[in-house]
Amino acid sequence: MLLHEKDGLQRMIEWVGRKAIAGYTYLAALATLFTQAVLDLLLPTRQGRGETLRVLVRQILFTGVDALPVTTVIALLLGIIIVTQAGTQLPRLGAGGLVGSIIVVTVIRELGPLITAFIVVGRSGTAIATELGNMSVTREVVALRLMGISISRFVIMPRMVGMVLSMLCLTLYFDVVAVLGGYLIADAQLTIPFYAFVESITKALSTTDVLMTAIKGLSFGSAVAAICCYHGLAVRSSFTEVPQQTTRAMINSFVLCLLIDVVVTVPLYL
Amino acid sequence: MNEAALVLEQIRTPMAGSPHVLDVDLRIAAGEFVALVGPSRSGKSLVIELAAGLVRPEAGRVVLLGHEWNDTQESEQTPVRLRVGTVLQQPGLLSNMTLFHNVLLPLRYHHGAMPERSREQAVMAQLERLGVAPMRDRFPAELNQGEVRRAAIARALILDPEVLLLDDPVAGLDAEMVLALKACIEEHRAHHPLTVVAALRAFSPLIEGADRLAVLQDGRVVADGARDTVACAVPEMLRKYVE
Repeated sequence: MLLHEKDGLQRMIEWVGRKAIAGYTYLAALATLFTQAVLDLLLPTRQGRGETLRVLVRQILFTGVDALPVTTVIALLLGIIIVTQAGTQLPRLGAGGLVGSIIVVTVIRELGPLITAFIVVGRSGTAIATELGNMSVTREVVALRLMGISISRFVIMPRMVGMVLSMLCLTLYFDVVAVLGGYLIADAQLTIPFYAFVESITKALSTTDVLMTAIKGLSFGSAVAAICCYHGLAVRSSFTEVPQQTTRAMINSFVLCLLIDVVVTVPLYL
Repeated sequence: MNEAALVLEQIRTPMAGSPHVLDVDLRIAAGEFVALVGPSRSGKSLVIELAAGLVRPEAGRVVLLGHEWNDTQESEQTPVRLRVGTVLQQPGLLSNMTLFHNVLLPLRYHHGAMPERSREQAVMAQLERLGVAPMRDRFPAELNQGEVRRAAIARALILDPEVLLLDDPVAGLDAEMVLALKACIEEHRAHHPLTVVAALRAFSPLIEGADRLAVLQDGRVVADGARDTVACAVPEMLRKYVE
Protein backbone atom coordinates (compact mmCIF):
# COMPACT_ATOMS: atom_id res chain seq x y z
CA MET A 1 0.00 0.00 0.00
CA LEU A 2 2.79 2.33 1.03
CA LEU A 3 4.67 1.31 -2.09
CA HIS A 4 1.57 2.14 -4.17
CA GLU A 5 1.29 5.58 -2.58
CA LYS A 6 4.96 6.20 -3.19
CA ASP A 7 4.56 5.15 -6.79
CA GLY A 8 1.59 7.48 -7.17
CA LEU A 9 3.45 10.40 -5.60
CA GLN A 10 6.52 9.71 -7.66
CA ARG A 11 4.45 9.56 -10.81
CA MET A 12 2.79 12.85 -9.93
CA ILE A 13 6.15 14.52 -9.29
CA GLU A 14 7.46 13.14 -12.55
CA TRP A 15 4.37 14.41 -14.36
CA VAL A 16 4.78 17.88 -12.83
CA GLY A 17 8.48 17.82 -13.72
CA ARG A 18 7.75 16.81 -17.30
CA LYS A 19 5.11 19.53 -17.67
CA ALA A 20 7.46 22.13 -16.16
CA ILE A 21 10.24 21.16 -18.57
CA ALA A 22 7.80 21.20 -21.51
CA GLY A 23 6.52 24.62 -20.43
CA TYR A 24 10.02 25.98 -20.08
CA THR A 25 11.06 24.56 -23.47
CA TYR A 26 7.95 26.06 -25.07
CA LEU A 27 8.58 29.52 -23.60
CA ALA A 28 12.25 29.32 -24.58
CA ALA A 29 11.26 28.47 -28.17
CA LEU A 30 8.87 31.44 -28.25
CA ALA A 31 11.58 33.71 -26.82
CA THR A 32 14.06 32.51 -29.47
CA LEU A 33 11.53 33.12 -32.25
CA PHE A 34 10.80 36.59 -30.89
CA THR A 35 14.47 37.50 -30.39
CA GLN A 36 15.39 36.39 -33.91
CA ALA A 37 12.53 38.46 -35.34
CA VAL A 38 13.70 41.52 -33.36
CA LEU A 39 17.28 40.99 -34.59
CA ASP A 40 16.00 40.71 -38.16
CA LEU A 41 14.15 43.96 -37.67
CA LEU A 42 17.11 45.81 -36.18
CA LEU A 43 20.07 44.43 -38.14
CA PRO A 44 20.60 46.52 -41.25
CA THR A 45 20.46 44.56 -44.50
CA ARG A 46 19.08 45.44 -47.88
CA GLN A 47 18.34 41.83 -48.74
CA GLY A 48 14.64 41.27 -49.20
CA ARG A 49 13.69 44.64 -47.73
CA GLY A 50 11.06 45.46 -50.36
CA GLU A 51 9.43 42.03 -50.24
CA THR A 52 9.42 42.00 -46.44
CA LEU A 53 7.84 45.45 -46.40
CA ARG A 54 5.07 44.17 -48.68
CA VAL A 55 4.31 41.32 -46.27
CA LEU A 56 4.37 43.78 -43.36
CA VAL A 57 1.91 46.17 -45.04
CA ARG A 58 -0.44 43.28 -45.87
CA GLN A 59 -0.28 42.14 -42.24
CA ILE A 60 -1.08 45.62 -40.91
CA LEU A 61 -3.99 45.95 -43.33
CA PHE A 62 -5.40 42.57 -42.32
CA THR A 63 -4.76 42.70 -38.57
CA GLY A 64 -5.24 46.39 -37.97
CA VAL A 65 -7.35 48.09 -40.63
CA ASP A 66 -9.70 45.18 -41.41
CA ALA A 67 -10.35 44.68 -37.68
CA LEU A 68 -11.62 48.24 -37.18
CA PRO A 69 -15.35 47.53 -37.75
CA VAL A 70 -15.56 44.60 -35.31
CA THR A 71 -13.39 46.45 -32.78
CA THR A 72 -15.66 49.50 -33.03
CA VAL A 73 -18.82 47.50 -32.42
CA ILE A 74 -17.40 45.54 -29.47
CA ALA A 75 -15.83 48.64 -27.88
CA LEU A 76 -19.04 50.67 -28.22
CA LEU A 77 -21.14 47.89 -26.72
CA LEU A 78 -18.68 47.34 -23.87
CA GLY A 79 -18.61 51.07 -23.07
CA ILE A 80 -22.41 51.15 -23.05
CA ILE A 81 -22.65 48.09 -20.75
CA ILE A 82 -20.06 49.34 -18.26
CA VAL A 83 -21.45 52.86 -18.00
CA THR A 84 -25.00 51.51 -17.72
CA GLN A 85 -23.99 49.24 -14.84
CA ALA A 86 -21.80 51.83 -13.15
CA GLY A 87 -24.26 54.67 -13.72
CA THR A 88 -27.18 52.76 -12.21
CA GLN A 89 -25.42 50.95 -9.34
CA LEU A 90 -22.90 53.51 -8.06
CA PRO A 91 -25.41 56.29 -7.23
CA ARG A 92 -27.25 53.85 -4.92
CA LEU A 93 -24.03 53.56 -2.95
CA GLY A 94 -23.52 57.28 -3.04
CA ALA A 95 -20.59 56.96 -5.43
CA GLY A 96 -22.13 58.38 -8.61
CA GLY A 97 -19.02 60.48 -9.24
CA LEU A 98 -16.90 57.38 -9.71
CA VAL A 99 -18.22 56.58 -13.19
CA GLY A 100 -15.06 58.01 -14.75
CA SER A 101 -12.82 55.95 -12.47
CA ILE A 102 -14.75 52.82 -13.31
CA ILE A 103 -14.25 53.42 -17.04
CA VAL A 104 -10.55 54.11 -16.60
CA VAL A 105 -9.99 51.08 -14.37
CA THR A 106 -12.09 48.56 -16.25
CA VAL A 107 -11.78 49.68 -19.86
CA ILE A 108 -8.49 51.53 -20.24
CA ARG A 109 -6.43 49.53 -17.76
CA GLU A 110 -7.91 46.08 -18.18
CA LEU A 111 -10.64 45.20 -20.64
CA GLY A 112 -9.45 47.39 -23.53
CA PRO A 113 -6.10 45.64 -24.00
CA LEU A 114 -7.48 42.20 -23.12
CA ILE A 115 -10.53 42.25 -25.37
CA THR A 116 -8.50 43.75 -28.21
CA ALA A 117 -6.02 40.90 -27.77
CA PHE A 118 -8.87 38.38 -27.90
CA ILE A 119 -10.23 39.98 -31.08
CA VAL A 120 -6.78 39.90 -32.69
CA VAL A 121 -6.19 36.29 -31.62
CA GLY A 122 -9.57 35.22 -33.02
CA ARG A 123 -9.18 37.07 -36.30
CA SER A 124 -5.50 37.29 -37.16
CA GLY A 125 -3.70 34.91 -34.82
CA THR A 126 -5.68 31.95 -36.06
CA ALA A 127 -5.26 33.17 -39.64
CA ILE A 128 -1.47 33.31 -39.22
CA ALA A 129 -1.31 29.84 -37.64
CA THR A 130 -3.50 28.39 -40.39
CA GLU A 131 -1.61 30.11 -43.19
CA LEU A 132 1.81 29.02 -41.92
CA GLY A 133 0.49 25.53 -41.20
CA ASN A 134 -0.75 25.16 -44.75
CA MET A 135 2.52 26.59 -46.06
CA SER A 136 4.41 23.95 -44.06
CA VAL A 137 2.31 21.07 -45.39
CA THR A 138 2.57 22.19 -49.02
CA ARG A 139 6.31 22.64 -48.51
CA GLU A 140 6.22 26.35 -49.31
CA VAL A 141 8.33 26.97 -46.21
CA VAL A 142 10.96 24.49 -47.43
CA ALA A 143 10.85 26.07 -50.89
CA LEU A 144 11.58 29.48 -49.35
CA ARG A 145 14.55 28.03 -47.45
CA LEU A 146 15.83 26.44 -50.66
CA MET A 147 15.68 29.82 -52.39
CA GLY A 148 17.88 31.26 -49.64
CA ILE A 149 14.97 33.29 -48.26
CA SER A 150 15.10 33.59 -44.49
CA ILE A 151 11.92 32.28 -42.84
CA SER A 152 12.51 34.52 -39.87
CA ARG A 153 13.05 37.65 -41.95
CA PHE A 154 10.45 37.05 -44.67
CA VAL A 155 7.74 35.12 -42.82
CA ILE A 156 7.94 35.70 -39.07
CA MET A 157 9.33 39.21 -38.59
CA PRO A 158 6.81 41.11 -40.78
CA ARG A 159 3.89 39.21 -39.25
CA MET A 160 5.18 39.93 -35.77
CA VAL A 161 5.84 43.63 -36.39
CA GLY A 162 2.49 43.98 -38.18
CA MET A 163 0.66 42.34 -35.32
CA VAL A 164 2.43 44.34 -32.59
CA LEU A 165 1.78 47.69 -34.31
CA SER A 166 -1.81 46.74 -35.10
CA MET A 167 -2.45 45.52 -31.55
CA LEU A 168 -1.08 48.74 -30.07
CA CYS A 169 -3.16 50.97 -32.32
CA LEU A 170 -6.30 48.83 -31.94
CA THR A 171 -5.97 48.87 -28.14
CA LEU A 172 -5.79 52.67 -28.04
CA TYR A 173 -8.63 52.87 -30.56
CA PHE A 174 -10.70 50.42 -28.50
CA ASP A 175 -10.24 52.54 -25.36
CA VAL A 176 -11.33 55.72 -27.14
CA VAL A 177 -14.40 54.10 -28.74
CA ALA A 178 -15.42 52.38 -25.47
CA VAL A 179 -15.27 55.72 -23.66
CA LEU A 180 -17.33 57.23 -26.48
CA GLY A 181 -19.88 54.41 -26.13
CA GLY A 182 -19.97 55.11 -22.41
CA TYR A 183 -20.60 58.77 -23.07
CA LEU A 184 -23.46 58.00 -25.49
CA ILE A 185 -25.34 56.00 -22.88
CA ALA A 186 -24.39 58.44 -20.11
CA ASP A 187 -25.84 61.26 -22.17
CA ALA A 188 -28.96 59.44 -23.37
CA GLN A 189 -30.02 57.38 -20.35
CA LEU A 190 -28.23 58.70 -17.31
CA THR A 191 -28.32 62.37 -18.31
CA ILE A 192 -24.76 62.94 -17.21
CA PRO A 193 -23.59 66.13 -18.97
CA PHE A 194 -20.68 65.86 -21.40
CA TYR A 195 -18.33 68.08 -19.37
CA ALA A 196 -19.03 66.13 -16.17
CA PHE A 197 -18.38 62.86 -17.97
CA VAL A 198 -15.14 64.07 -19.51
CA GLU A 199 -14.04 65.66 -16.24
CA SER A 200 -14.60 62.47 -14.26
CA ILE A 201 -12.52 60.51 -16.79
CA THR A 202 -9.68 63.00 -17.04
CA LYS A 203 -9.51 63.18 -13.25
CA ALA A 204 -9.24 59.44 -12.99
CA LEU A 205 -6.88 58.97 -15.96
CA SER A 206 -3.14 59.16 -15.30
CA THR A 207 -0.08 58.81 -17.52
CA THR A 208 0.49 55.43 -15.90
CA ASP A 209 -2.87 54.23 -17.21
CA VAL A 210 -2.02 55.22 -20.77
CA LEU A 211 1.45 53.71 -20.46
CA MET A 212 -0.01 50.56 -18.98
CA THR A 213 -2.49 50.12 -21.84
CA ALA A 214 0.32 50.70 -24.37
CA ILE A 215 2.67 48.25 -22.64
CA LYS A 216 -0.07 45.64 -22.57
CA GLY A 217 -0.85 46.21 -26.25
CA LEU A 218 2.81 45.74 -27.17
CA SER A 219 3.29 42.68 -24.94
CA PHE A 220 0.09 40.98 -26.05
CA GLY A 221 0.92 41.63 -29.71
CA SER A 222 4.41 40.15 -29.33
CA ALA A 223 3.13 37.10 -27.44
CA VAL A 224 0.26 36.36 -29.82
CA ALA A 225 2.42 36.76 -32.92
CA ALA A 226 5.20 34.53 -31.54
CA ILE A 227 2.74 31.83 -30.43
CA CYS A 228 0.79 31.79 -33.70
CA CYS A 229 3.92 31.73 -35.88
CA TYR A 230 5.42 28.99 -33.71
CA HIS A 231 2.35 26.75 -33.92
CA GLY A 232 1.88 27.40 -37.64
CA LEU A 233 5.46 26.37 -38.36
CA ALA A 234 5.14 23.39 -36.00
CA VAL A 235 2.85 21.68 -38.54
CA ARG A 236 4.79 18.93 -40.24
CA SER A 237 3.16 16.74 -42.86
CA SER A 238 -0.61 16.58 -42.61
CA PHE A 239 -3.45 19.05 -43.13
CA THR A 240 -5.21 17.58 -40.08
CA GLU A 241 -2.42 19.06 -37.94
CA VAL A 242 -3.37 22.56 -39.08
CA PRO A 243 -6.60 22.96 -37.06
CA GLN A 244 -4.97 21.19 -34.10
CA GLN A 245 -2.07 23.62 -34.02
CA THR A 246 -4.39 26.57 -34.66
CA THR A 247 -6.50 25.61 -31.64
CA ARG A 248 -3.38 25.28 -29.50
CA ALA A 249 -2.17 28.67 -30.74
CA MET A 250 -5.48 30.27 -29.81
CA ILE A 251 -5.75 28.74 -26.32
CA ASN A 252 -2.09 29.40 -25.50
CA SER A 253 -2.44 32.99 -26.74
CA PHE A 254 -5.39 33.60 -24.43
CA VAL A 255 -3.57 32.04 -21.46
CA LEU A 256 -0.31 33.90 -22.08
CA CYS A 257 -2.13 37.23 -22.53
CA LEU A 258 -3.89 36.74 -19.18
CA LEU A 259 -0.59 35.73 -17.58
CA ILE A 260 1.16 38.83 -18.95
CA ASP A 261 -1.79 40.92 -17.75
CA VAL A 262 -1.35 39.59 -14.23
CA VAL A 263 2.42 40.13 -14.32
CA VAL A 264 2.00 43.72 -15.53
CA THR A 265 -0.99 44.68 -13.38
CA VAL A 266 -0.43 43.07 -9.98
CA PRO A 267 2.89 44.82 -9.13
CA LEU A 268 1.11 48.16 -9.57
CA TYR A 269 -1.19 47.45 -6.66
CA LEU A 270 1.33 45.84 -4.31
CA MET B 1 38.33 15.02 -64.06
CA ASN B 2 36.45 18.27 -63.38
CA GLU B 3 36.15 19.61 -59.86
CA ALA B 4 33.27 17.93 -58.03
CA ALA B 5 30.07 19.97 -57.75
CA LEU B 6 28.44 17.43 -55.46
CA VAL B 7 29.98 14.74 -53.30
CA LEU B 8 28.01 12.27 -51.23
CA GLU B 9 30.72 10.46 -49.34
CA GLN B 10 29.97 7.17 -47.58
CA ILE B 11 26.42 8.22 -46.84
CA ARG B 12 24.37 5.97 -44.59
CA THR B 13 21.00 7.18 -43.44
CA PRO B 14 17.58 5.61 -42.84
CA MET B 15 14.91 5.92 -45.52
CA ALA B 16 11.48 6.96 -44.21
CA GLY B 17 8.79 4.41 -45.01
CA SER B 18 11.29 1.77 -46.07
CA PRO B 19 13.13 -0.99 -44.20
CA HIS B 20 16.26 -0.19 -46.21
CA VAL B 21 19.06 2.22 -45.43
CA LEU B 22 20.40 4.65 -48.01
CA ASP B 23 23.99 3.64 -48.57
CA VAL B 24 25.58 5.66 -51.36
CA ASP B 25 28.89 7.10 -52.42
CA LEU B 26 28.49 9.51 -55.33
CA ARG B 27 30.70 12.13 -56.90
CA ILE B 28 29.24 14.44 -59.51
CA ALA B 29 31.58 16.65 -61.50
CA ALA B 30 30.89 20.30 -62.23
CA GLY B 31 28.86 20.66 -65.43
CA GLU B 32 27.76 17.04 -65.41
CA PHE B 33 24.14 15.95 -65.91
CA VAL B 34 23.39 12.91 -63.78
CA ALA B 35 20.04 11.16 -63.84
CA LEU B 36 19.16 9.15 -60.73
CA VAL B 37 16.79 6.43 -61.86
CA GLY B 38 15.04 3.57 -60.17
CA PRO B 39 11.74 2.46 -58.72
CA SER B 40 9.79 4.31 -56.01
CA ARG B 41 11.31 4.15 -52.52
CA SER B 42 14.75 3.41 -53.91
CA GLY B 43 16.25 6.53 -52.28
CA LYS B 44 16.36 9.00 -55.21
CA SER B 45 14.40 11.74 -53.46
CA LEU B 46 16.47 11.30 -50.31
CA VAL B 47 19.65 11.82 -52.37
CA ILE B 48 18.17 15.08 -53.70
CA GLU B 49 17.17 16.18 -50.18
CA LEU B 50 20.64 15.32 -48.85
CA ALA B 51 22.24 17.26 -51.69
CA ALA B 52 19.97 20.23 -50.97
CA GLY B 53 20.97 20.19 -47.30
CA LEU B 54 17.44 19.46 -46.10
CA VAL B 55 18.38 16.16 -44.47
CA ARG B 56 21.52 15.43 -42.48
CA PRO B 57 22.86 11.91 -42.91
CA GLU B 58 23.48 9.68 -39.92
CA ALA B 59 26.90 8.88 -41.32
CA GLY B 60 29.02 10.33 -44.11
CA ARG B 61 29.24 13.83 -45.49
CA VAL B 62 27.60 15.85 -48.22
CA VAL B 63 29.65 18.50 -49.99
CA LEU B 64 27.92 20.81 -52.44
CA LEU B 65 30.02 23.33 -54.37
CA GLY B 66 32.84 22.84 -51.87
CA HIS B 67 30.55 23.50 -48.94
CA GLU B 68 29.87 20.79 -46.38
CA TRP B 69 26.28 20.87 -45.15
CA ASN B 70 27.05 19.08 -41.86
CA ASP B 71 29.28 21.95 -40.71
CA THR B 72 26.92 24.77 -41.57
CA GLN B 73 24.36 26.62 -39.53
CA GLU B 74 21.07 27.51 -41.18
CA SER B 75 21.95 31.21 -41.16
CA GLU B 76 25.20 30.57 -43.08
CA GLN B 77 23.59 28.56 -45.88
CA THR B 78 22.24 31.44 -47.97
CA PRO B 79 25.37 32.02 -50.14
CA VAL B 80 25.33 28.37 -51.22
CA ARG B 81 21.58 28.26 -51.69
CA LEU B 82 21.83 31.15 -54.15
CA ARG B 83 24.09 28.98 -56.33
CA VAL B 84 21.69 26.04 -56.30
CA GLY B 85 18.22 25.69 -57.82
CA THR B 86 16.08 22.95 -56.31
CA VAL B 87 12.67 21.58 -57.21
CA LEU B 88 11.31 18.90 -54.90
CA GLN B 89 8.50 16.45 -55.56
CA GLN B 90 6.14 18.98 -54.00
CA PRO B 91 7.36 22.13 -55.77
CA GLY B 92 6.11 24.52 -53.06
CA LEU B 93 4.97 27.44 -55.20
CA LEU B 94 3.61 30.12 -52.87
CA SER B 95 -0.16 29.79 -53.02
CA ASN B 96 -0.87 33.47 -52.37
CA MET B 97 1.18 34.64 -55.36
CA THR B 98 0.57 34.39 -59.09
CA LEU B 99 2.90 32.24 -61.12
CA PHE B 100 4.69 35.38 -62.34
CA HIS B 101 5.28 36.67 -58.83
CA ASN B 102 6.43 33.26 -57.66
CA VAL B 103 9.20 33.30 -60.24
CA LEU B 104 9.91 36.98 -59.58
CA LEU B 105 10.26 36.48 -55.80
CA PRO B 106 13.91 35.23 -55.67
CA LEU B 107 14.99 38.09 -57.95
CA ARG B 108 13.16 40.68 -55.86
CA TYR B 109 14.50 39.22 -52.62
CA HIS B 110 18.13 38.75 -53.62
CA HIS B 111 18.57 41.36 -56.35
CA GLY B 112 16.81 44.36 -54.86
CA ALA B 113 19.03 46.80 -56.78
CA MET B 114 18.16 45.29 -60.18
CA PRO B 115 15.69 47.47 -62.14
CA GLU B 116 12.15 46.10 -61.89
CA ARG B 117 11.81 46.11 -65.69
CA SER B 118 14.91 43.92 -66.11
CA ARG B 119 13.62 41.53 -63.46
CA GLU B 120 10.25 41.25 -65.17
CA GLN B 121 11.89 40.65 -68.53
CA ALA B 122 14.04 37.89 -67.04
CA VAL B 123 10.97 36.25 -65.51
CA MET B 124 8.98 36.41 -68.74
CA ALA B 125 11.89 34.96 -70.72
CA GLN B 126 12.11 32.05 -68.29
CA LEU B 127 8.34 31.47 -68.35
CA GLU B 128 8.31 31.51 -72.15
CA ARG B 129 11.20 29.06 -72.31
CA LEU B 130 9.20 26.61 -70.24
CA GLY B 131 5.88 27.31 -72.00
CA VAL B 132 4.00 28.76 -69.04
CA ALA B 133 3.98 32.45 -70.01
CA PRO B 134 0.23 32.42 -70.86
CA MET B 135 -0.51 31.36 -67.28
CA ARG B 136 1.55 34.15 -65.72
CA ASP B 137 -1.35 35.72 -63.82
CA ARG B 138 -2.81 32.49 -62.48
CA PHE B 139 -2.39 31.26 -58.93
CA PRO B 140 -0.86 27.81 -58.31
CA ALA B 141 -4.28 26.36 -57.36
CA GLU B 142 -5.54 27.23 -60.85
CA LEU B 143 -2.74 25.36 -62.63
CA ASN B 144 -2.33 21.68 -63.42
CA GLN B 145 0.50 19.61 -61.99
CA GLY B 146 2.72 19.96 -65.05
CA GLU B 147 2.31 23.73 -65.18
CA VAL B 148 3.12 24.04 -61.48
CA ARG B 149 6.23 21.93 -61.95
CA ARG B 150 7.41 23.95 -64.94
CA ALA B 151 6.83 27.17 -63.01
CA ALA B 152 8.86 25.77 -60.12
CA ILE B 153 11.69 24.87 -62.52
CA ALA B 154 11.52 28.40 -63.95
CA ARG B 155 11.81 29.74 -60.39
CA ALA B 156 14.77 27.44 -59.69
CA LEU B 157 16.56 28.67 -62.83
CA ILE B 158 15.85 32.38 -62.43
CA LEU B 159 19.01 33.08 -60.39
CA ASP B 160 21.21 31.26 -62.95
CA PRO B 161 22.30 28.54 -60.52
CA GLU B 162 25.45 26.46 -60.88
CA VAL B 163 23.67 23.32 -59.72
CA LEU B 164 20.11 22.25 -60.49
CA LEU B 165 18.56 19.57 -58.28
CA LEU B 166 15.32 18.17 -59.68
CA ASP B 167 13.13 15.58 -58.01
CA ASP B 168 10.77 13.97 -60.50
CA PRO B 169 10.83 16.95 -62.89
CA VAL B 170 8.68 15.27 -65.55
CA ALA B 171 5.76 14.37 -63.24
CA GLY B 172 2.54 15.66 -64.79
CA LEU B 173 4.26 16.85 -67.97
CA ASP B 174 2.98 15.76 -71.38
CA ALA B 175 5.44 14.44 -73.99
CA GLU B 176 5.80 17.81 -75.65
CA MET B 177 6.53 19.51 -72.36
CA VAL B 178 9.15 16.92 -71.42
CA LEU B 179 10.94 17.74 -74.67
CA ALA B 180 10.57 21.47 -73.93
CA LEU B 181 12.08 20.92 -70.49
CA LYS B 182 14.92 18.89 -71.99
CA ALA B 183 15.59 21.67 -74.51
CA CYS B 184 15.49 24.27 -71.75
CA ILE B 185 18.04 22.40 -69.65
CA GLU B 186 20.27 21.86 -72.70
CA GLU B 187 20.05 25.56 -73.56
CA HIS B 188 21.04 26.51 -70.02
CA ARG B 189 23.92 24.04 -70.04
CA ALA B 190 25.11 25.44 -73.36
CA HIS B 191 25.34 28.96 -71.93
CA HIS B 192 26.31 28.31 -68.30
CA PRO B 193 28.33 25.60 -66.60
CA LEU B 194 25.25 23.97 -65.06
CA THR B 195 25.41 20.73 -63.07
CA VAL B 196 22.11 18.86 -63.15
CA VAL B 197 21.01 16.07 -60.82
CA ALA B 198 17.56 14.77 -61.72
CA ALA B 199 15.69 11.97 -59.97
CA LEU B 200 13.43 10.12 -62.41
CA ARG B 201 11.04 7.33 -61.53
CA ALA B 202 10.36 6.20 -65.09
CA PHE B 203 12.17 6.26 -68.39
CA SER B 204 11.97 9.70 -69.91
CA PRO B 205 13.50 11.52 -72.89
CA LEU B 206 15.28 13.61 -70.27
CA ILE B 207 17.56 10.62 -69.68
CA GLU B 208 18.86 10.95 -73.24
CA GLY B 209 20.38 14.30 -72.31
CA ALA B 210 22.13 12.92 -69.23
CA ASP B 211 25.89 12.36 -69.24
CA ARG B 212 25.58 9.69 -66.62
CA LEU B 213 22.99 7.45 -65.04
CA ALA B 214 22.99 6.21 -61.47
CA VAL B 215 20.48 3.40 -60.95
CA LEU B 216 19.24 3.04 -57.38
CA GLN B 217 17.48 0.11 -55.77
CA ASP B 218 16.66 -0.31 -52.08
CA GLY B 219 18.95 2.57 -51.11
CA ARG B 220 22.01 1.42 -53.06
CA VAL B 221 23.51 2.45 -56.38
CA VAL B 222 23.41 -0.77 -58.41
CA ALA B 223 24.84 0.74 -61.60
CA ASP B 224 26.56 4.00 -62.39
CA GLY B 225 27.96 5.26 -65.68
CA ALA B 226 27.08 6.19 -69.24
CA ARG B 227 23.66 5.08 -70.43
CA ASP B 228 24.92 2.29 -72.71
CA THR B 229 27.16 0.85 -70.01
CA VAL B 230 24.45 1.02 -67.39
CA ALA B 231 21.87 -0.62 -69.68
CA CYS B 232 24.11 -3.69 -69.88
CA ALA B 233 25.05 -3.66 -66.20
CA VAL B 234 21.67 -3.36 -64.50
CA PRO B 235 19.57 -6.38 -63.57
CA GLU B 236 16.82 -7.27 -66.04
CA MET B 237 14.04 -5.94 -63.78
CA LEU B 238 15.63 -2.45 -63.74
CA ARG B 239 16.35 -2.26 -67.46
CA LYS B 240 13.01 -0.60 -68.17
CA TYR B 241 14.17 2.45 -66.23
CA VAL B 242 17.10 3.10 -68.55
CA GLU B 243 15.89 1.91 -71.94
